Amino acid sequence: MENKNIPVKPAKKTRGDILHERMVLLGEIKEEKKFDKKKFFLTSLIILCVMIAAIVVLQYRLNTIAAYEDALYAQQAAAEIVADENAATVSEATVAEAAAAVEAATEMEAAAAVEAATEVEATTEAEATTETEAVGEIKKPQDYTFAPFYRAGKLLLIVGACAYGFYVVIRLLAPKRRKPNRSVWGDFGIYFMLLCVAILMIFPLVFSVSASLKPLDELFRFPPTVFPRQPTMDNFSDLFVTLSQSFVPFSRYLVNTVFLTFIGTMGHVLIASMAAFVLAKYDFPGGKTFFSIVVTALMFSGYVTGIPNYVIMSKLRMIDTYWAIILPAFAAPIGLFLMKQFMEGLPTSLIEAAHLDGAGEMRIFWSIVMPNVKPAWLTIIIFSVQSLWNTNASTVIYSEAKKTLVYALQQIQAGGIARTGQAAAVTVIVMLVPITIFILSQSRILETMASSGLKD
Amino acid sequence: MKSFLKTYVEMKRETIKYNFAKAKRMKICYLFLLPYAVLFTTFFILPICTSIYYSFTQYNILEKPQFVGFQNYINLVLQDEVFLTSVKNTLVIAVITGPIGYILSFLFAWFINELPKWIRAIAVVVFYAPSIAGNVYFIFSIIFRGDIYGYLNSFLVDFGLINAPILWLTDPNYMLTVIIIVILWMSMGTGFLSFVAGLQGVDRAMYEAGYVDGIKNRWQELWYITLPSMKPMLLFGAVMSITSAFNVCDVPRALAGYPSTDYAARTIVTHLFDYGFSRFEMGYASAIATVLFLVMILCNKAIQSMLRKVGS
Repeated sequence: MENKNIPVKPAKKTRGDILHERMVLLGEIKEEKKFDKKKFFLTSLIILCVMIAAIVVLQYRLNTIAAYEDALYAQQAAAEIVADENAATVSEATVAEAAAAVEAATEMEAAAAVEAATEVEATTEAEATTETEAVGEIKKPQDYTFAPFYRAGKLLLIVGACAYGFYVVIRLLAPKRRKPNRSVWGDFGIYFMLLCVAILMIFPLVFSVSASLKPLDELFRFPPTVFPRQPTMDNFSDLFVTLSQSFVPFSRYLVNTVFLTFIGTMGHVLIASMAAFVLAKYDFPGGKTFFSIVVTALMFSGYVTGIPNYVIMSKLRMIDTYWAIILPAFAAPIGLFLMKQFMEGLPTSLIEAAHLDGAGEMRIFWSIVMPNVKPAWLTIIIFSVQSLWNTNASTVIYSEAKKTLVYALQQIQAGGIARTGQAAAVTVIVMLVPITIFILSQSRILETMASSGLKD
Repeated sequence: MKSFLKTYVEMKRETIKYNFAKAKRMKICYLFLLPYAVLFTTFFILPICTSIYYSFTQYNILEKPQFVGFQNYINLVLQDEVFLTSVKNTLVIAVITGPIGYILSFLFAWFINELPKWIRAIAVVVFYAPSIAGNVYFIFSIIFRGDIYGYLNSFLVDFGLINAPILWLTDPNYMLTVIIIVILWMSMGTGFLSFVAGLQGVDRAMYEAGYVDGIKNRWQELWYITLPSMKPMLLFGAVMSITSAFNVCDVPRALAGYPSTDYAARTIVTHLFDYGFSRFEMGYASAIATVLFLVMILCNKAIQSMLRKVGS
């Protein structure tokens, strides 16, 4: 009898459904209503419309109140002007009289002045009377006392509408199946905060880009505008004019930097991953010690080692050659560190299997390990490019023809007020390259990360 | 005792023999390591060692270094008041920007990780851009300018919060705060990027197991699942943030001037810069560098032991 109610074959459920049911049963999450996108969109649209309508109405009332206040102010001002001008005419008249007394010859002029003064008096009086009449017509709005409430209400409604609109957008964009342990309000708060912080983070960058597009008069305008009113590329063309007049052609600096960056990065990736591979996957005497030394070296900044480094390079006769920049870049500790950390995530069984199949270390490294750590080498490429692109290397490179782009640009940037526009352009160029490289390779990183689901 | 020593020496000899044999067998490993090791030793280890050696000498590049013992260190502590100011400033900056920058970059990486894919891509760029944008922080010298034309001053005066413009970058009372703000703005650096990468690599199955085991909200999930599986990244981020927190040099030099009013924005590295590159007292500068290095190593050890407790 008891078995009767149990269905013979239960409907097929996915793992997620079972999980969800279980959690509902345990009372750990509430049964959520099915989320109807269309309905949600319509209702939120109506709510937003109502909010906007309320804002418009409030704004209308505020406008009438403002008009009334303006009229009042104008009335007061007019009264003040009348008083002032009366005084002025009186003083003018006295001055004129005094002048007349001193110089009889200018009697005619004095008379004319007095005449003019009286005329002015008459006209101002007439104006004043008309204005007071006009003010008399304006009624005091009935809800004048509510004005502060209106203002506060408007502000609240605007903030509310923005927040609600943001919430709706997030709700609509969010993936269909939510993670069971996330609250909507938590998501909302986090996204809102992220948005605010993102605006703060990006503002100086946007500002410097817009500064490079401003003509000179707008660069010095106060208060400053965030976006240029008449965007020009003048700053950039000026910069190229300055560069083309320099002793060494501009393209030389560019080639130098590109060469350095390319060779330095390639060598760094190769050498660092070779070292990282053995450090991560083999247990050999001295390996651990070496790695801990590398980690410690990570903390020594370039300023600290600058002086002894120069002495060593001059002993090796590398001063004023590209090697002085490239060779230290090959051995940058950060690349090795990152690579080793990533390679430790690789399953050891993979390498053991390759060993059993008779592959040598070189082959394992080249055709098994390297393809599997793509995200890591993209990351260290970014770091290497970023640091090499920004080296000005002023301490180790002396000949003009070997100088890097950033160094040449910084020389222009130091040109003072006359080169403000060009300096802004330089900032943008120097900034744009690493950011662009990052944007391009970042999508690669995300892609490789998503597809590389290796589990041990 | 004697027999004990004897066995000890024998054991040591055995281990050395064993290691040597192992090393001989794993020759290929050393071959792989060799190019990096050679370059690394030349450009990172050797300079550090010479720097430590110079710190015990008086050296001005032209003459040969003269050995003076601990004189440089004694001068540092007893005679150089500016050095003590710089230590104080560096500690203030490091204690505030280090942990806050570290926590912020982890939190933002974690928040960003929950976003839909394409927004996440944009957000990562937005947050990471300030730290790779070269010397864009120059723009802050306009924002914090001391006269009424500085953006912040004019903004505050317009709102009636202050009556007269504040000399943000010249007044010793405000300098450090401004510098800390700018450094925090730039703190989403290498560590942030590694957090983003690490968060994406956390095993999804762990989260599902977490739901079943009764993890109720995102904070529990963070503490019990996400953080423990991100330990390598956390360690790396800590090292990076210590490095950047103690090696503050460019920002105060660009914003507060060099030297700054009353040395109020002088850090250990600017002090080192002053002695090394302006006065050419290399021995003294090396002593400063060694002190900085020791402080950083100690900090790193402390943080590592703290990170071991994460998720337990």
